[in-house]
Amino acid sequence: MPKRLLTLAVNGRRHEIAADGHALLVDVLRDALGLTGTKQGCDGGECGACTVLVDGAPRLACLTLAASVEGRAIETIEGLARSGRMSALQQAFHERLGTQCGFCTPGMIMAAEALLRRTPHPDEAEIREALAGNLCRCTGYVKIIESVRAAAEARP
Amino acid sequence: MTEPTRYGRAQGGARKEDERFLTGRGRYADDLAVPGAAHAAIVRSPHARARTAAIDVAAARAAPGVIGVFTGADLVAAGVKPLPFVPGFVGEDGRPARSPARYPLTPDVARFVGDPVAVVVAETAEAARDAAELVAVDYEPLDAVVDVRRALGPAAVLAEPDFGTNVAAFHAIGDAVRVDEAFASAAHVARIDLVNNRLVPNPIEPRVCVGEYDTASGRYVVRLPTQTAQSTRNSIAASLGVAPERVRVIVGDIGGGFGMKTFIHPEDALVAWLAKACGRPVKWRADRSESFLGDTHGRDQWVQAELALDRAGRFLALRVRLAANMGAYLAFIGPVVPLRAGVRVSTGGYDIPLFRFEGRAVLTNTAPVCAYRGAGRPEAIYAIERLVDVAARELGIDPVELRRRNLVPRSAMPYRNGVGETYDVGDFAAVLDRALAAADWSGFDARRAASRATGRLRGRGLAFYVEWTGGEMTERAVVEVHGDGRVVLLSGTQNMGQGLETSYAGIVAEALGIDPARVEVVQGDTDRVLGSGSVASRSLFVGGSAALAGGKDAIEKGRALAADALEAAPRDIEYAAGRFCIAGTDRAIGLFDLAARQPERRFLGEATVTFTMPSWPNGCHVCEVEIDPETGEVRVDRYSAVDDVGRRLNPAIVAGQVHGGIAQGIGQALLEACRYDADSGQLLTGTFQDYALPRADDLPAFALGAFEDEPASGNPLGTKGVGEVGAVAAPPAVVNAVVDALAEFGVKHLDMPVRAEDVWRIVAGGRAPR
Repeated sequence: MPKRLLTLAVNGRRHEIAADGHALLVDVLRDALGLTGTKQGCDGGECGACTVLVDGAPRLACLTLAASVEGRAIETIEGLARSGRMSALQQAFHERLGTQCGFCTPGMIMAAEALLRRTPHPDEAEIREALAGNLCRCTGYVKIIESVRAAAEARP
Repeated sequence: MTEPTRYGRAQGGARKEDERFLTGRGRYADDLAVPGAAHAAIVRSPHARARTAAIDVAAARAAPGVIGVFTGADLVAAGVKPLPFVPGFVGEDGRPARSPARYPLTPDVARFVGDPVAVVVAETAEAARDAAELVAVDYEPLDAVVDVRRALGPAAVLAEPDFGTNVAAFHAIGDAVRVDEAFASAAHVARIDLVNNRLVPNPIEPRVCVGEYDTASGRYVVRLPTQTAQSTRNSIAASLGVAPERVRVIVGDIGGGFGMKTFIHPEDALVAWLAKACGRPVKWRADRSESFLGDTHGRDQWVQAELALDRAGRFLALRVRLAANMGAYLAFIGPVVPLRAGVRVSTGGYDIPLFRFEGRAVLTNTAPVCAYRGAGRPEAIYAIERLVDVAARELGIDPVELRRRNLVPRSAMPYRNGVGETYDVGDFAAVLDRALAAADWSGFDARRAASRATGRLRGRGLAFYVEWTGGEMTERAVVEVHGDGRVVLLSGTQNMGQGLETSYAGIVAEALGIDPARVEVVQGDTDRVLGSGSVASRSLFVGGSAALAGGKDAIEKGRALAADALEAAPRDIEYAAGRFCIAGTDRAIGLFDLAARQPERRFLGEATVTFTMPSWPNGCHVCEVEIDPETGEVRVDRYSAVDDVGRRLNPAIVAGQVHGGIAQGIGQALLEACRYDADSGQLLTGTFQDYALPRADDLPAFALGAFEDEPASGNPLGTKGVGEVGAVAAPPAVVNAVVDALAEFGVKHLDMPVRAEDVWRIVAGGRAPR
């Protein structure tokens, strides 16, 4: 398949990448842009580890053609920290031990980020529902839920 | 100076390793940029057993981007050896346990669906996968057996006909005659016959391995997520037929292990061999479907247990017969799990004077079965805790009361159990009482009435467990003090999410009286540090104790060096808070200044610790379930636990470990089942669509309490293992609750996972709750 030039806006920066037309966003992010924070834990759409934001909404990068998100605002885990400081949500995951092995964490945080942008003060059921597409094998979700709650409570 | 049992406690909950995980800078094997790497795709058997008569690789070799295509015959011709497994087991005939030889690619017969048959190496992973489709294997299908009960039945298909039996290993414990006598004279005998369901461990990070070969030095480097770097290195070397020193295993961050990422998988050795054969680094990454097919699985035991009781409800004797499905090949420690590890706690927390065990490790045509969180102890505790509930119901004795009558009293410690293991400390009755209070056990009737009012059934269950942790009881630590202000701890255990960087840094920092931020922890590089890795919940109490001893040794080494530097006798040198000084004077030198004056600007402390006493965590978990009779859906409504894991260095980390174990245990009880078709041997649960892992909306919050009154006696930290306890306790707590909820329908037992359909059938066929 011939390669084509894609222009992707990732974490506020424009990137021009030569990629196959059927290239998946997760592969472009990881292999072409070196943004390996976005993980792949299943064969497509079952684990949530590759969750990124596209125009502020959560998207599974493993089911998304890179070409289909040209011109859209793509955000990955690497874009959340500002000038080397973790975001309030990342900080909450740190303080509440919302990560253990760390592998589901980027996707989990991006899913939680999307939730908090649309629902700044979710209750526990809303948090659990919003994160139900993101598998975690380490935490039993308890401290992940606590982390998201703590981040929400710290918001105005 | 704080007391020695409080080492590492000063720190807060937040972890050192978090920032890289939270910002997307974790260093997992799949994240490594490997210049020049080629990619491997594996051709796996679609048959449960088949002769691989002829393999035509011509079309695959000719495909675009292909570098090489190899079969098992190629490996054998090149001198590759079978993967090793631990010796020491015998079959029913008393001869050494046998396993079919497992090569990285099978050269003759595929023995389970997913057994690696050939490999394609290509410029890209995609090209390798495409070419793998072109490998034409002429399979000659053979009869197969996948179910352990069928494998032991009359006229069973033999997984490996040459062996003449499916029983690979047999182990018996206890005096059968005396146990039989106890049963014959017992006032009551309770029995249970259950299947402990096969599970797929499923860490979210799939297995990945990258092999490299250096022609000049003749050395191999394999980068992979393994919990046991040294053992994996040794097994790779054995398979390659080279000395262990010619293989270096390097481990980065591990995205969860849970016992599956231990010892050796075929791909670990395969990538090393391919790297040499192709003259390129070679990377292999498992798809999730390959993880289901090719990772080692867990559990899968058929257990028949009987408990003899006297008239007063005292336990007299326990008889356990189990058959453990080992899969098609004995995994490295496959038979250890059911025959050595689990059986240690078969009698649980109870004083049962007589015990008889017969265990069979059985070959079938399924993926090899090895360690999964708990590795034998969850199966043992599930059996005894279900059995005690069965006995309580049959005798009309409250299940709490029956347990209370039989728990090993604190006054009996140290206590030698019926299996022959010695529990050093424990106050089981106090743990039970605390757990019942935390669970509001006595408030259950009101909650059940409230559930009834909404048309729902409610049940409660408890499980008391004792767990064995330890495994290899020796570990070494090196503590390097550097002139630039860093302390580096080298440990042969392995971080995989359990917070060891934080816990170890805290231990070393407190030993040295310095800021934990100065301490770096190095693990998982066999050129830098050897050890037994992280299995059997051993890391903190064995590896952490070694770190403590290493820190103390660094002080002693520093004392001698400081004596030279300060021109004083070593006995006059005192150490505190990062400074050596001559007692009674103000002449002193800082720890790091001292290091800066040494050759290489550093000095070392080192220590090897060896313990004889394993740790015996114990606890009581209480679960309440609610059942919707319209759908049969079982929901865990309340879950609370009190665990005695000895002294907790970092309570938040401990809680996280227990939470995760409980979630996996609830998964086993209600959701997870690995199924093979009984006739064809096809894997029916090969994706997360078919194999249900617990999700955030499947679980409640868990209420945890700690019990720290009985610290472990066998190690200076006073800690007991914690990583597996939740997975040990949760399955019986949940199933006991479900059976309690359904008792009015005459239900005595349900096998795991308890499915909504099964519950619905029971309720629909019985009396509707009103």
